[in-house]
Amino acid sequence: MAWRNIWRNKLRSLVIILSVALGLFAGLMVLSIYKGMLRGRVRTVIDSEVSHIQIHDSNFKKDYDPIYIITQSDELIKALKKNQDIKSFSVRSITQGMLSATTGSAGVQINGVLPLEENIVSQLAKKIKIGNGFTDHKKNEILIGKKLAKKLKLKLGGKIVLTITDTSAEIVSGVFRIVSIFESENAPLDEINVYVKKDALDEMLGTTNQIHEIAIRLNSDELLGATVQQIQKQFKQYQIETWEALSPETVLMVDTIDITSYIIIGIILFALAFGIINTMLMAILERTKEIGMMMALGLNKIKLFQLILLETIFLTTIGTPLGLGMAWGLTNYYHQNGLHWESMSKELMSSFGFSTTIYPEFPFEKIGISMCFVMLTAILSCIYPAIKALHLQPVDALRK
Amino acid sequence: MTAQSQTATDIIKKADEKMRGNTSQGLLVIKTIRPTWSREMQVRTWMKGTEYAMILIESPVKEKGIVFLKRKKEVWNWVPTLERAIKLPPSMMTNSWMGTDFTNDDLVKEASVVEDYTHRFVGDTLINQKPCYLIEMIPKPNTAVVWGRLVVSIDKKDFLELYTEFYDEEGVLINIMRASEIKIMDGRLIPTRLEMIPMDKKNQKTEILYKSVLFNRSIEDHYFSIEKMKQFN
Amino acid sequence: MLLQLAWKNLWRNSNRTAITMAAIFFAVLLSVITSSLKTGIFDNLEKNLVSFYAGYIQVHKNGYWEEQILDNSFEVAINNEGKILSTPNVESATPRLESFALASTGNITKGCMVIGIDPEKERKITALQNRITQGRFLTASGEGVIVAEGLLKRLKLKLNDTLVLIGQGYHGTTAAGKYIIIGVVRFGTPALNDKTLFMSLFQAQDLYSAENKITSYVIAIKNTANLNSTSVALKNNLNSNFEVMTWGEMMPEIKQHIQTDSNNMQIVQIILYLLVSFGIFGTLLMMIAERRFEMGMLVAIGMKKKALAFLIFMESILTVLAGCFLGILASIPIVYYLHAYPIRIAGKAAEAYERFGFEPIFPTSLHPNNFISQGIIVCIIGFCLSLYPVYRVLRLNPVEAMRR
Repeated sequence: MAWRNIWRNKLRSLVIILSVALGLFAGLMVLSIYKGMLRGRVRTVIDSEVSHIQIHDSNFKKDYDPIYIITQSDELIKALKKNQDIKSFSVRSITQGMLSATTGSAGVQINGVLPLEENIVSQLAKKIKIGNGFTDHKKNEILIGKKLAKKLKLKLGGKIVLTITDTSAEIVSGVFRIVSIFESENAPLDEINVYVKKDALDEMLGTTNQIHEIAIRLNSDELLGATVQQIQKQFKQYQIETWEALSPETVLMVDTIDITSYIIIGIILFALAFGIINTMLMAILERTKEIGMMMALGLNKIKLFQLILLETIFLTTIGTPLGLGMAWGLTNYYHQNGLHWESMSKELMSSFGFSTTIYPEFPFEKIGISMCFVMLTAILSCIYPAIKALHLQPVDALRK
Repeated sequence: MTAQSQTATDIIKKADEKMRGNTSQGLLVIKTIRPTWSREMQVRTWMKGTEYAMILIESPVKEKGIVFLKRKKEVWNWVPTLERAIKLPPSMMTNSWMGTDFTNDDLVKEASVVEDYTHRFVGDTLINQKPCYLIEMIPKPNTAVVWGRLVVSIDKKDFLELYTEFYDEEGVLINIMRASEIKIMDGRLIPTRLEMIPMDKKNQKTEILYKSVLFNRSIEDHYFSIEKMKQFN
Repeated sequence: MLLQLAWKNLWRNSNRTAITMAAIFFAVLLSVITSSLKTGIFDNLEKNLVSFYAGYIQVHKNGYWEEQILDNSFEVAINNEGKILSTPNVESATPRLESFALASTGNITKGCMVIGIDPEKERKITALQNRITQGRFLTASGEGVIVAEGLLKRLKLKLNDTLVLIGQGYHGTTAAGKYIIIGVVRFGTPALNDKTLFMSLFQAQDLYSAENKITSYVIAIKNTANLNSTSVALKNNLNSNFEVMTWGEMMPEIKQHIQTDSNNMQIVQIILYLLVSFGIFGTLLMMIAERRFEMGMLVAIGMKKKALAFLIFMESILTVLAGCFLGILASIPIVYYLHAYPIRIAGKAAEAYERFGFEPIFPTSLHPNNFISQGIIVCIIGFCLSLYPVYRVLRLNPVEAMRR
C-alpha cells in the first residue's frame, strides 16, 4: 500500500525524491570538489617541486655540505630500479653557491641533474619557457628561473659565473651559459634554483659519480607509505622524507580544507534534514483528509507510522541513485573539462604555486558513508512529521 | 724593441708585472664616493703573486684592525672586536668589497690577465697626451669571469695600464678604470691614482690612492696566515 | 486591502505558514552560519599567516622593497610615527631594522637575517614572545640575541653560547659584534626558522652603524576588513618618500592561496543555496497543491486572477521576510557562541597547526556583513521562488482546480 500511495501523489513524491537526490548530490559534489582541489594543490607540490619521496644522507640537509654524499648508492639505485611502485627517480648533486653576472650576483642552490630522468620526475622540460633545454653540445649549460633572470637582467645565451666551495673546502668558480629560462608555478623557488648538468657540477665539487639527493616519483600517490617503509627497512642509514615532511605549509593548507569540508557537509546534512522535514510536514498536512479516512477505516497508529516510514524509505531509495548519478555525471564532466574559476587572473594565480582549474574527483571511497548519512537523515527526518500525523484525530481530519 | 716584435700578450704581461711585481707592500687610501655620501679608508696591503694577499685596515677608527686574508683559494676575515677569524664562504660574499665599486672577484683575483685571456692589438690612442697601445682582451672559454671583453690602453713608453673598459657579452660598457698621477715609487714608475667608475650609476666611483709602495721585498708564504692577522693588534 | 487579506490568510492556516517560514528560517540560519564560519576560518588563517612576521601593513622608505639594502633605511622621526598612529584604523606600529649578516662560531659561518626590534611594541603586534622555547625575551636596553631554532642547530650552538655577527653596515662600513644567546624561538616555516635572529633595535642600529635608522614600521590594524582603505589613508598621510605595502603586496603567494581556497568555498555555498532553495520550493509546491480548491473557488466566484496572484505573492513575501528576520535573529547567538567557544580541531591537523604556532581553532566571524548578505540572498531566493505560485495562479483553470 505504501508503494501505491507514493504513485498516487506524484508531485509530492517527486519533491521528496528530488530533495534526497539533491542532498546526496550536494554532499558528493562538495567532496568531489574538495578532493579535486586537494589533489591539484598536492599535485603541483609533488609533480614539479618535491616529488613523492626524497632520500639524502642523514647529515646532508643540516648544512648542504657537499661531502655528505649518499654512500652505497649503487645498491640503493639497484633496489629502486627493481621496485615496481616507482615510476621514475632522479639522482642529483646539490650545492649552494653564488651566481655572478655583470649586473650583480645572487645566492642560489645549484642542482646538478641528469636531464632525461629529471624531466620525468620534476617535469623540468615542461617548465622551460625560453630555449630548448640541455643539449649534448656543451657541458657548461645552465637553466635559470624567470624571476632570477628578471632580477639580474639575464638573457638566453648570457654568461654567468658560479662560485662554490668544493669538497676540499676551497672556493671554486666556473663559467656557464644560459641555455634556457624556466618558469614553474612557484616563483620563490624559481628565484633560488638553477640547473646544470650533473657532471659539470660534480667536476667543480670533486664528487664525480657521487650523489647528494635522490627524488622519487611513484606510480600513484597512495603507494607513499608502503614504499617509504620498504626503502627504510632495507637502508636504515639514509634520511628518507615524504612530500609531507618536505612541504609542511602544504600539509597545513590541506588539513584546513579537509576539516572545513567536513564541517560544510555537516551543515549540508542539516539543510537536507530540514528540507525533508518541511516537505514531509507539508505533505502530511495535505493528506490530513486522507489520513483521517484511513484511521477511520481502522488503520491503527502503528501501521500508520509504518506506512509513512515505508513511503519515506521507498522515496529515499529512488532518490539515492538519482543523486549519485547526477553527482557522478557532473563530476565526470568537470573532470574532463576542468572547473574554471574565472574571477582571478591566471597569471597572478599560477605564479604562486597553483593552477586555476580544478578537476573534481569522484570520491568513490566515500559513497558508502554518504549514502548511509543521507538515507539516515531522510528517515530520521520523517519521524517528526509521522508523529504529528499520529496525533491527528480522524474526526477533525475528515472534517477539514 | 719595436712595437712589431712584441705581441699584445707580451705587452699585457709587462704592464701586469709593472704594477704587481713578485711581491708588493703598500699604503693606500680608498675613497668610496656616492651621490649622497662618501667615505675614506686607509689600508696597508701585502701581495705575493696571485695566490697570497693581506689587507689591513688602519682607518677609520671603527674598522681599525680589520684584516682580510687571501690564501690560495680561501678568504678569511679578522675583526678585532670579535677576536675571531672567520672564513668567508663564497655564497655569502656580497658582490662589492667593503661597499666599494670593486668586487670580491678583484680581491680574490682568480683570473690572471695574462694566462686566462687572449690579446690582440686594436689600435693606438692618446691618454693624457701619452701615446698608448689599444689592446682587446677576451676571456678564454673556461675562464670564470663575468666580462665579455676588456679594452685596455697601455702607455707605449712605460707600459702602464692607463685606461680600461669593461664590457659585458652584449657589448654594453659596464665599468671604466682610469689610472693617473704617475709617480716613482720604490724606483718604479706607476700610476698612483686608480678610479673605478660604474657606468650605470650617476656620481658614483671608487678611488684608490697609493701613498707608498715597496716592490719585491721578500715575504715568506707563511707570513700570510691567521696568526699574522691576529698579531696586527 | 489585499495586503490585509494576505495577512489574515497567513494566520488562518498557521501550520502551513509556520512550515514555510521554517523553511526560510533554516535556510537563513544555515547560510549565515556557513558564511560566518567560512569568513571566520579564513580571517583566522590570514591573521595567523600574516601577523607572525610581516604584519598587515608595512611602511618603508620608497624603493626599499625592490632593493632591500641598508642604504634604503630611513630616519626615525616622531612626527612620522605620529602621522601613522593618527591614521584611522591603525592600532599600533613597531619599528624594525633588518639586514643580512654572517653568523659565525669561527668554524661554522651561516648567513642569517638580523632583525632589530622594539621588544615592547613588537610584543603587541607579532607576539614574538609566545614563540620562545628556551631562555627569555629581549629588553629594549638589554644585550644579547634571540636565535631561531633552526639557525641555532645549524650553528651547533646552545642557549648562553656566544656568536659573532659580521656584515656590511650603513654606507659600506663593516658591521661586527659579539653577542650572547639569551633566548631561542621557533617558527613553523623553515624560511624563518633556519635563518632569523632578533636583537634590540638599539643594538642593531649600533651593529650596522645606522644610528636612529630603521628599515620598516610594522603596523597592526583594528578592523582587518578595512585593510585597503587604511593603506591608502597611510599613503596620503605620509609623503612620497615612503612606500606603504599591505601583506598581500608583500606576500602575494600566500594571498593567492587563501583567495583560491576562499573562492572554492563559494562554490560550496552555492550548493548550499541550491539545497535550501529546494527545501523552500518544496513547501511552496505543497502549498499550491493544497490550496488548489480554494484558489479555483475564488476565481470561479469572480476574483480576478491578477488579484489572486498578487495576494498569493504578498503572502509569500511576508512569510519570507518574517522567516528571514527570525532566522537572522536566531543565528546571532549561535554565531557569537561559536566565536567565543570556537570549534577545536584535533588529530593530525591540529599538530600541523601547532607546529606553526597557530591555535587549532575554527572560529566564526562576527562581521555584520555575513548576517545581512545571507539574509538578503535568501530573501531574493525566496522572492524568486514565490513567483512560481504566481505563475500557477495566472494559469489556473478554476473548473479543473475545483474538481476533486
